[in-house]
Amino acid sequence: MSDPKQAIMDQVRQQAALSNARALIEKVNEHCFERCVPKPGSSLSSAETTCYTHCMEKYMASWNTVSRQYLGHVQQGVQGQAAFGAF
Amino acid sequence: MDSSITLGGSPGADLTKLSDREKQELQQFVVNESQKARIQQSIHSLTDICFRKCITAKMSSGKLDRTEEPCMQNCVDRFMDANMTVLRQLEQMRTQM
Repeated sequence: MSDPKQAIMDQVRQQAALSNARALIEKVNEHCFERCVPKPGSSLSSAETTCYTHCMEKYMASWNTVSRQYLGHVQQGVQGQAAFGAF
Repeated sequence: MDSSITLGGSPGADLTKLSDREKQELQQFVVNESQKARIQQSIHSLTDICFRKCITAKMSSGKLDRTEEPCMQNCVDRFMDANMTVLRQLEQMRTQM
């Protein structure tokens, strides 16, 4: 018999992870399409694909840097943090 | 953007059969997860903004070079300073009304 509490917790965590991944992919596509495919042709050139790969890696590196910096502030308990959540 | 946490009805998860303590644990869990989701959302927004400001050159590599990395860090710090300024100013405007 499965633990209903655990099932709910797992489901919530799963949804949160999915939501996070979706947001990340959406942003990567938005930025990298803008940067790497200025004039859409009949196919993606190898230069465009390489640019896309670099851009994606750069975006994830940026996400990690921002995450580290932001969590540093959160842990210090910056005042007005609750208001920032309304951003 | 979808940042809400929904408790779906998974088959076999009968919430009424949970003890009071389990219900409380679940409530605390949801509060924690909601806060985590809000933080994730903020990080996404900040990354969006700071990427546009700091990554201006061509995509020659997948790493942040020695100007881009500090720029991202400064961007976060300055944004939070700016946010504090807004709140302080709002408070000032509120008391002057």
